[in-house]
Amino acid sequence: MKRRSQLAVLIAALLPASVLASTIEGVILNNKGKVVTNATVEVEGSDLKVTTDENGKFVITELKNGLKELHVVAPGYAHLHRDITITNDGNQSVTFNLKRSPIEVIDIEATPIHMSAMESASPVSVLSGEQLRRQQAATLGDSLEKLPGVNTNFHGKVASTPIIRGLSGPRVLITQNGLDVSDVSRVGPDHSVASEASTAQQIEVLRGPATLFYGSGAIGGVVNVVDNRVPTDSTTRGEWNLEHNSVDNQKVASFNATTGTDSVAFYADAFWREADDYEVPVAADIDSDGEEHSGDYKVENSNEESDGFTVGASYLMDNGFIGLAVEQFNRQYGIPGHTHGDEEEKHSDEEESVFADLEQTKVQLLGEYNLDNKWLNKVNLRAGHTDYEHAEIESGAVGTTFKNETNELRIDLLHNQFSEWNGGISFHYKQSDVEAQGEEAFTPPSETESFAVALMEERHFGDFLVQLGGRIERVTIEAGNVLLPNIDAHAHDEAQETDEHDHDHEESAETTRVFDVEHEFTPVSLSAGVVWDFTSNYNLGLSVSRSERAPSASELLSFGPHIGTGTYEVGALFDLDEDGHLGLSDQAIDLETANNIDLTLRKTQGDVGFILNAFYNQVDNYYYQIDTGLYAQSGHDHGDEEELADEHDHSSELPVYLFKTDDVVLHGFEAQIAWQLTDEFKLDVFSDYVRARLKDGGDLPRTPPLRFGSELSYQTDKLSAHIHVTRYQKQDRTAPQETATDGYTLIDASISYDLSVLNQDMSVYLRGTNLTDTEARVHSSFVKDIAPRPGRSFALGIRGYF
Amino acid sequence: MKKLYKLKLIALAISTTFITACGDAETKIVEKDPIVVEDEHDHDDDDHDHDDGYTIDSLGRLAVLAGNSNEASFYDLDDNALLETFTLTNDSNTLSSSPDFRYAVIASRAQDYLGFIDGGLWREDHGEHLHDYEQSPAASSYELTSGSRPTHLITHDGQLAVFYDGDADSGTVASVEVLTDNDITSATATLPGISYDINMHGVAEPRGEHLLSTIRRDDSESTSVAKVLPDQVGVYHFHDGEYELEQTLEVTCPDLHGAAQNHDYVVFGCGDGILIAHQQGDVYSAQKVVNIDAVGDQRIGSIYGHEDSETFIGVASGHGGGEAVIVTINPVTAQMEELEWQLADGASAVSYSFSAHGEHFLILDSLGFLNVFSAHDHDGEMHWELEGQVDITEQDVSTMPEGMSFSMTVAQNGQFAYVADPIAQHVVQVHLEDLEIESEVELTFAPSAITWLGIAQEEEDDHDH
Repeated sequence: MKRRSQLAVLIAALLPASVLASTIEGVILNNKGKVVTNATVEVEGSDLKVTTDENGKFVITELKNGLKELHVVAPGYAHLHRDITITNDGNQSVTFNLKRSPIEVIDIEATPIHMSAMESASPVSVLSGEQLRRQQAATLGDSLEKLPGVNTNFHGKVASTPIIRGLSGPRVLITQNGLDVSDVSRVGPDHSVASEASTAQQIEVLRGPATLFYGSGAIGGVVNVVDNRVPTDSTTRGEWNLEHNSVDNQKVASFNATTGTDSVAFYADAFWREADDYEVPVAADIDSDGEEHSGDYKVENSNEESDGFTVGASYLMDNGFIGLAVEQFNRQYGIPGHTHGDEEEKHSDEEESVFADLEQTKVQLLGEYNLDNKWLNKVNLRAGHTDYEHAEIESGAVGTTFKNETNELRIDLLHNQFSEWNGGISFHYKQSDVEAQGEEAFTPPSETESFAVALMEERHFGDFLVQLGGRIERVTIEAGNVLLPNIDAHAHDEAQETDEHDHDHEESAETTRVFDVEHEFTPVSLSAGVVWDFTSNYNLGLSVSRSERAPSASELLSFGPHIGTGTYEVGALFDLDEDGHLGLSDQAIDLETANNIDLTLRKTQGDVGFILNAFYNQVDNYYYQIDTGLYAQSGHDHGDEEELADEHDHSSELPVYLFKTDDVVLHGFEAQIAWQLTDEFKLDVFSDYVRARLKDGGDLPRTPPLRFGSELSYQTDKLSAHIHVTRYQKQDRTAPQETATDGYTLIDASISYDLSVLNQDMSVYLRGTNLTDTEARVHSSFVKDIAPRPGRSFALGIRGYF
Repeated sequence: MKKLYKLKLIALAISTTFITACGDAETKIVEKDPIVVEDEHDHDDDDHDHDDGYTIDSLGRLAVLAGNSNEASFYDLDDNALLETFTLTNDSNTLSSSPDFRYAVIASRAQDYLGFIDGGLWREDHGEHLHDYEQSPAASSYELTSGSRPTHLITHDGQLAVFYDGDADSGTVASVEVLTDNDITSATATLPGISYDINMHGVAEPRGEHLLSTIRRDDSESTSVAKVLPDQVGVYHFHDGEYELEQTLEVTCPDLHGAAQNHDYVVFGCGDGILIAHQQGDVYSAQKVVNIDAVGDQRIGSIYGHEDSETFIGVASGHGGGEAVIVTINPVTAQMEELEWQLADGASAVSYSFSAHGEHFLILDSLGFLNVFSAHDHDGEMHWELEGQVDITEQDVSTMPEGMSFSMTVAQNGQFAYVADPIAQHVVQVHLEDLEIESEVELTFAPSAITWLGIAQEEEDDHDH
């Protein structure tokens, strides 16, 4: 009601009409009555956007009659929405008061409707600006792990990918500017994500099902890395950074720059990073019996080297832009724990190290056009082509090569406000060719194609914001040569029999069956959300969704040793028969369905702000791997047959894990409280928790433990300092065959000082991580027993802006 | 030992369709021919036979080009049975093997076309073991069509150099592309090579990171009589993804045609003799051996070499196809010498080849005799002497179909050569030590060309003769 009365006052303050086109003039003040400069005022559903001058003033001209929704954004303040009705041609003058928000509110870029941490029905977080620079790491998982609800799968620092609310792999989609990043990181935890944080502008995380915007692969959430590779304006600006990190002798250099003329904009970025094996406070292997050790402990084969560059250009029009960017991304990293069979000093003392050599070329075409049309007001176009390849190299020879070639096209048509509804329809096409060749090619070559239509709408009803959406998708997976070898999987408890089983195949024929497999899925997703401003400064969000996911090719068709996880993987297309032989499954292959409820309570402005989320997600037909208790030859090392009579060596064998489906329940919370103590001091406290269990009892593996932490920040014009403490609790809710992991506390601190040299803004910073040099093993990591987190480290760096 | 072969079953197809309600999911599975692995234990291993369970013992496969149709047929040499027949894109083709003998290379000079058919038998080096694969022959979608007039295809140590002559009439230039079996497997889009700015009838010899390729100079400078033939040789060095001309041999070779190489030398046939290039590290020194009297006014236009053979065999013939003179060339002593042996009256040579490991030289003649030579050391000099002859046909050779001839190929995994007989419409397997025909592959057509495919046997270290 208060809002309405304010509006009435504003309308009463109408100035006499002086020009023909309608104009809104205004001033933006903070709660102390001081002007707010550099605030952005946007007219929703249009491309009109202005910023306030040094007096806090703004002018929007050439408006048409009707109801206009204004959206005011300024750093450090809560976003403000105001409806203004324009009648007749004329001028209106307005005054807006912004309230402080200690939780930074940044809009998500990659959704057609407005979303931010404070304003949307479903939970999102954004990492950008200084905070992104402070937390960026070599891998996406490690960069994002301080966000509530996000954990890292910490694969020895080299290939970590994010876990969102306990889900990862094929359930978390990773995108670059809204288009699939198209690597093979969704298939194996030791496969790195082909995206770079140091040149990114912001990274957005959508927690919980986000299939509506992104399709099947986003049932657990989305991580969208945003950069300015296709520039939307030509203001000359840029950023560069040099850093050295002590724990792994890591050296990083990066820059990005944008410039251009009135009609053409250019962008370029590049980065380079090199790191040695990192040091750890204790022996890396949890089973090492504390022998005398000279020198520092290290995680062997955890070094990394990467570089990349992007160039982009766009044509700027009055009504939009269109541009093209090309990226080349290269990365070479050791894979800790990727050791083979019985290397146990039998052959040589030299550790056989395996490393991955990754290369990707990415072309993106992005465009936006504002139409002066009766129905449509904007068209968004995103198209991408990526060519990805990574080779796993052992003793100098290529063991396995993974390839992914993806083409993607997305067109969003946003309509004019239609009885106060804003929104649009989205068409999305994606086609990817994935293949693996070599001894670790556990998945046969396959082609996945999807086409989707989605509708998203939102509308304000008084104090309520309603967001609705639906999506229908058609996914086909085609694989012409799915192999079912006769692998002679056997149990290990029958020790006597193992001696015999290798001697009875004289002249016996082993058959590899071959199948041509085609899958066709039609997943449907629906979601409804409401945000209620039930009293001033607070809102309550509720989001309900039902999302369906087509299982991925690797979940269905795999059959072979996966050294990255140390398992022999068998897809859901296959099953064990009564005799314990693997054959075709007679179970129907079905969609995975998530029914999710999210409840969010927020305090959006004032000196204290908070966001409290609780979620309950029931996933039916959840695809996951179970341990069959059987073992199969890794195909990697074949001991001499003659030696079989001796102690049978199981080390060249891998446990057989079979993809099955079950109903699963995930529930938990995220809490985030920020308190602006004084103008300089701010305290942030956060906690998150997820419980992931089978409906019929039992826990899912590698679920992150309860976590809480706090950050104290001190910020003046020149100086900023942060102390960050995070406590990870012990995780003892484990899956069968999984061990519990002890809790630990990590303390990080950073200080940075801004200075101006040669008319350039620079900041020098020192950052310390794991200051207590504690042993920290990450429960959600596949290699937790051999690769703890890095020990104490100091990073010194300098950053410049122009 | 493990032995893989594919059963020729009548295609067994199972089709399963699962349909569920709401949010449709449909799965269609068709079972194809299985791959059968036969497992046999072999405990009396020879010393050199390190069976680790990954290698396949097979005689290999034979690709056969039909003389009367544009078809290529693939035979399994373990049971001499037909595996697969492919219809080729073009009518006029030549057949050869890829450098590691996995693929059949189909070249059509007139159509500027090079295609590949996977023989289905190959080996991968997995670091700690060698891994062999056996699959059905399959046409590869990989094609090379960008060069003009692919003419001389030379393989050496895992590399294939394709020399495209170009065409003066259409103004297209000569070029070279170098590829490996892996390039064919992974369909490498851009191959390294050389691009000339003129056409020529040239030749390129790939040698690891080096590539010795011919150079045609401006007609005013060229010493060649037929200007389309080059008269110089360049040493190209591969780095940073491209070949760069690092050296041009100072000795010219007018009317260059034909080339071969062994471990240390590359030799080229010239109008006035033989050009010998000797590799010393990254540099080659050049030397000319002039034609001996026996060559007369003919010229050496074809040369055969083998990595492990000290001497080369050169064939001199006049342009009109007069009687060929066969010479041996010793690059170390820079000597040329006429082979003592001569073809029988009325016979002409139709095919020449070294055996797999270079210890024999084979000359197949038009009367259906396979002449097998061995090198013998006399006072430190190598001489090629006839070991024996194998009469490979019982047919009346005068009934040879018009335009056809006997043809041969050498297996790279043993002591066998295969000789195709268009009259009898079969291919015989000849044991080169025993000089006997051991088996035959029955065909249903007259073969115009054959090539062996499969897994080449690694060289044994000691060569005491």
